[in-house]
Amino acid sequence: MSGTALLQVSGVDAGYGHVGVLRGVDLSVPAGTIVALVGSNGAGKSTLLRTISGLLRPWAGAIAFDGQAIAGARPHRIIDLGLLHVAEGRRLFRRQDVHSNLELGLYGTRLDRGEEKRRYDFVYDLFPMLAERPSALAGILSGGQQQMLAIAQALMRQPRLVMLDEPSLGLAPIVVDQVMAVLQRLRAGGTTILLVEQMVERALDIADRAYVMQNGTMIGGGTPEEIRAGDLIRRAYLGAVSDRAAS
Amino acid sequence: MSSRTRSALLVALAVVLYLAPFAVGTEYRLFIATQMAAYVLVAVGLNLLNGYGGQVSLGHGALVAIGAYAVAIATVDHHWSFWPAALLAMLAASAVGAVMALPAFRLSTWYFALITLGFAEVVGGLLTEWRELTHGFAGVVGVPKPVLFGHELSSLDLYWLALTLNIAALWGMANLLASRFGRALVGVRDNPVAATASGVSLVRIKMLAFVVSAAMAGLSGALYAVQKTVVTPDDFTADFSIFFLLVVVLGGAGRLWGPVVGAVVFFLVPELLAALQSWRMLIYGTALLFLMLYAPHGLVGAMDVGWQHLRKWLGLPAVTPPPVVATSRQTVEPVAGEALSVQGVEKRFGGVTALAGVSLEVAAGTTHAIVGPNGSGKTTLLNMISGFYPIDAGSILVDGRSVVGLAPHRIARRGVGRTFQTPRMLPALSVLDNILLGAYPAERQSALSATLRLPVARREQAASLADASRYLDFVGLADRAHEAAGELPHGQQRLAEIARALVGRPRLLLLDEPAAGLSLDELDRLGELIAAIGRLGTTVVIVEHHLELVANICSSVTVLERGAVLASGTPAEVFSHPQVVAAYMGTQAGVGQAAS
Amino acid sequence: MDPDLLVGALTAGSLYALVAMGFNILYRPTNVFNFAQGDLVMLGAMVGATFITLLGLPWFVGAVLAMLAVAALALLEEKVAVAPVLNRSATGHGWVITTLAVSMIFANVVGLCWGPDPIAVKPPWPLSTDTFEVLGANVSTYQIAIVAVTIVLVLGVEAFYATRPGKAVLAVAEDRDAALLRGINPNRLSSWSFFLGGGIAALTGVLAAPVLYASTGLGPALLLKGFASAAVGGIGNNRGALIAGYIIGLAEAIAASVLSPGYQLAATFAVMLVILLIRPHGLFGRPEARTV
Repeated sequence: MSGTALLQVSGVDAGYGHVGVLRGVDLSVPAGTIVALVGSNGAGKSTLLRTISGLLRPWAGAIAFDGQAIAGARPHRIIDLGLLHVAEGRRLFRRQDVHSNLELGLYGTRLDRGEEKRRYDFVYDLFPMLAERPSALAGILSGGQQQMLAIAQALMRQPRLVMLDEPSLGLAPIVVDQVMAVLQRLRAGGTTILLVEQMVERALDIADRAYVMQNGTMIGGGTPEEIRAGDLIRRAYLGAVSDRAAS
Repeated sequence: MSSRTRSALLVALAVVLYLAPFAVGTEYRLFIATQMAAYVLVAVGLNLLNGYGGQVSLGHGALVAIGAYAVAIATVDHHWSFWPAALLAMLAASAVGAVMALPAFRLSTWYFALITLGFAEVVGGLLTEWRELTHGFAGVVGVPKPVLFGHELSSLDLYWLALTLNIAALWGMANLLASRFGRALVGVRDNPVAATASGVSLVRIKMLAFVVSAAMAGLSGALYAVQKTVVTPDDFTADFSIFFLLVVVLGGAGRLWGPVVGAVVFFLVPELLAALQSWRMLIYGTALLFLMLYAPHGLVGAMDVGWQHLRKWLGLPAVTPPPVVATSRQTVEPVAGEALSVQGVEKRFGGVTALAGVSLEVAAGTTHAIVGPNGSGKTTLLNMISGFYPIDAGSILVDGRSVVGLAPHRIARRGVGRTFQTPRMLPALSVLDNILLGAYPAERQSALSATLRLPVARREQAASLADASRYLDFVGLADRAHEAAGELPHGQQRLAEIARALVGRPRLLLLDEPAAGLSLDELDRLGELIAAIGRLGTTVVIVEHHLELVANICSSVTVLERGAVLASGTPAEVFSHPQVVAAYMGTQAGVGQAAS
Repeated sequence: MDPDLLVGALTAGSLYALVAMGFNILYRPTNVFNFAQGDLVMLGAMVGATFITLLGLPWFVGAVLAMLAVAALALLEEKVAVAPVLNRSATGHGWVITTLAVSMIFANVVGLCWGPDPIAVKPPWPLSTDTFEVLGANVSTYQIAIVAVTIVLVLGVEAFYATRPGKAVLAVAEDRDAALLRGINPNRLSSWSFFLGGGIAALTGVLAAPVLYASTGLGPALLLKGFASAAVGGIGNNRGALIAGYIIGLAEAIAASVLSPGYQLAATFAVMLVILLIRPHGLFGRPEARTV
């Protein structure tokens, strides 16, 4: 695998209130790749992303982005470093229109007019269906369009690494195809991607590397071929009985 | 300390208070003490509404005013005797309180606080304006002292009357709070959704709290009137209401003795700070601010915490209440399960179609699973069956009767119990109390019988306690009964939530992702628990991701994908269906192998 | 109806709308309703009156100084009484009591500093409170100015919410976490909103002083009527607040001409209640979606 780890997570514990969710999680994302993170619901994938992006403070462990320690840092500082998180459920500002949502993607940046226009053009080019209706309210867009907008919003900052939490959620297969195609284009352009997915097959199709999570820990990782061939997926999705039967 | 010791101490305290005037009583002190007692009455009522119920009312001063004026006008202008006048005062204040409460049901909490403030101002204005009734600015003069059996009450008698009323109020309040109503009220404050799912009508409980607190304010007003003998609008400014809120917060909102402690401190302090009269509001405001920031549970809360630290420091063992023992080891009674029929249900949120015409049938007494990828609409469907979301089209029949358009608490009362994706507990109450909340739809005692601890109420409470203990045992949490529910680990909160749903004797039980976040052992226990529930005869519908669990315990499965039914049948049929496998996980291997 | 009353209604209504706008600005990023808002207006009036009448400073200088002073106080309120409570629990209602407490403190301080006597404030030249006749009504240039300034301010604030920082505030109001993920700092925006809301409150007080007198009684009355305007117009909606302000002002004026003055408040209150019970989200408000 070429490229040094752009994002390195080591031994992270985290949780909400008294409830621990993540235990000793390790993850490494090399620059310029798509890394998939799969596992069944409740495995802690979203919690991990929230911990990396600063919404949640880890109880233990270290997180490094481009060599800088970011565990426990404020979200806006992590964003300034170039690490963006597209949250689960298409968290957009539904009461505002498409263009405003994109504009908010630029919040806090100090770019000249020309550069801003270039960013808008880039995003509208990547997502032509957004270009068609910039003044539509985000709340009335279809699920697929909302997902595109959420990704576009993050892309306005030209991030070095984008983390996507279940972008295929509730989308028709053909739209999922489109989303995956966009991710591949981004990788070709040099953006690193950490993709959390429940649709294992789709994620493995485009990933360079994959990790499998279950019950708050990493139970394994490898290339897509290795993951497909092995037992990890079955364990992660079918849970307890398979584990116990094996031991 | 045991409850026996505590009762003895309280009786001793009461005796001391009754006899104190003979030792240290002066006219002035009696006056202050009686006034303080009147304030305590209002504060106890307001504590019910605000401390336990979470509703902020800035209008209780106006209710006291109504009570005071009612007595004044009735006794002076119409020559009523005090006793019926006091009753009138309570009724009048209750009626106005009920009217004041109406906006609370449609508007949010802080809107409501401002509306009560508005009420207070309006009442203040009306007291001055409505001269024919209230004598305007001059007020009502010469309110006669109450007469009991021909004997006119002296200030000592008034003090005793006030003291007796206080004791009765505190006793009644303690009973009410320990009953189903107290739990429901805390539910309204801390987790209205959980309360609704347990069959609590939020509107009714809020109204009850309002009316009770208003009645107590009215009664206090009656005392006020006969003590001061002159009632003018000046006595009842908007500040007056704020003082009561201050007393409640100062003493400790949501603590039984809070109002008493608050009133005592509130009265003593100005006596000591007579020189700082013009700084009064500043001091009160700062005190209130300080309390909310650093001691949100007031003086009683701070004393509790201090007492815990002291116990630790002294090395005293922690007080453990007696363990909860299920009184009979026999299994819980069988249940007549209800059938569920869903036809063509649709739901849209903005531009997103969540459910596009879903139909499924669940036979009575069977266990049925709804599975599907995230975002396929499973929880939305459950929310619609239990009434938390309105449906856009289609029909839902439980036991052959439609539940479309019914409020969720009514559906709960029809025998539909449910749990939630994230356990919804009342963190401030114990595990046992949380489970007891589930008994609400089955219990029948009225608020009055609960307040007076009538035998019928006591019997029902004992029966509910026995039930709750049994189910606590059934889910394996008997040793955690008295812990605060908020302290429980996730998996156990989930089991407690299931126990709460079971206590209501549901005939249709909806479980929303009960296995999420559970450890291996807990998963086992969950599987056994659901199987046992099914054996009782309850119809169970479970939304789940753990396909292994589903395959083991369910007799039928519906697979949803993007708001539509993809497949339906027995687990074996459904899980070997290639489309299901593809849609769900995208892998070819896995589910088919494990299920066979 | 007496046309003079109509003029009075428009003027009073403008002031209520301004109070409501102050509320809305504070409310947007925090979902907190400031019970001390009426006192902020009163403070603005008193401070402004001190500078303009007692110290003889030019009107605009006095107004700006008052705005800065009160804005700073509002910021202090946010830091001490609002942020700590919100940090503890984003959905709790502890701020109802803390902002109430701040209101008590402000009211007492004003009473101690300035005493009970109102201070007269003259409008800036060339405006005056002398009336002249227009279409059968007695109007003063100052009243016209109040109505005009209010409309301008409302439009100006609306324009602000169309800028990037303004959209960021709306974003925070809608989804705090999502805003965090886009680099928006909700705490900073809350502080600025309180500063701005305090400034608007002070300006309202200074504007109101020549017609309502700068006195300690100003606070509670404006609190309720400002709230009524905000609620009837739809909390957070400034244009709605403007229209609602006029409605409340009109209701008041009609009540005053038909009933005796003491019933005025009751009548206005009743109107507000009826509207809210029919449309709990105000005339121009939007119902929120429910989530389970």
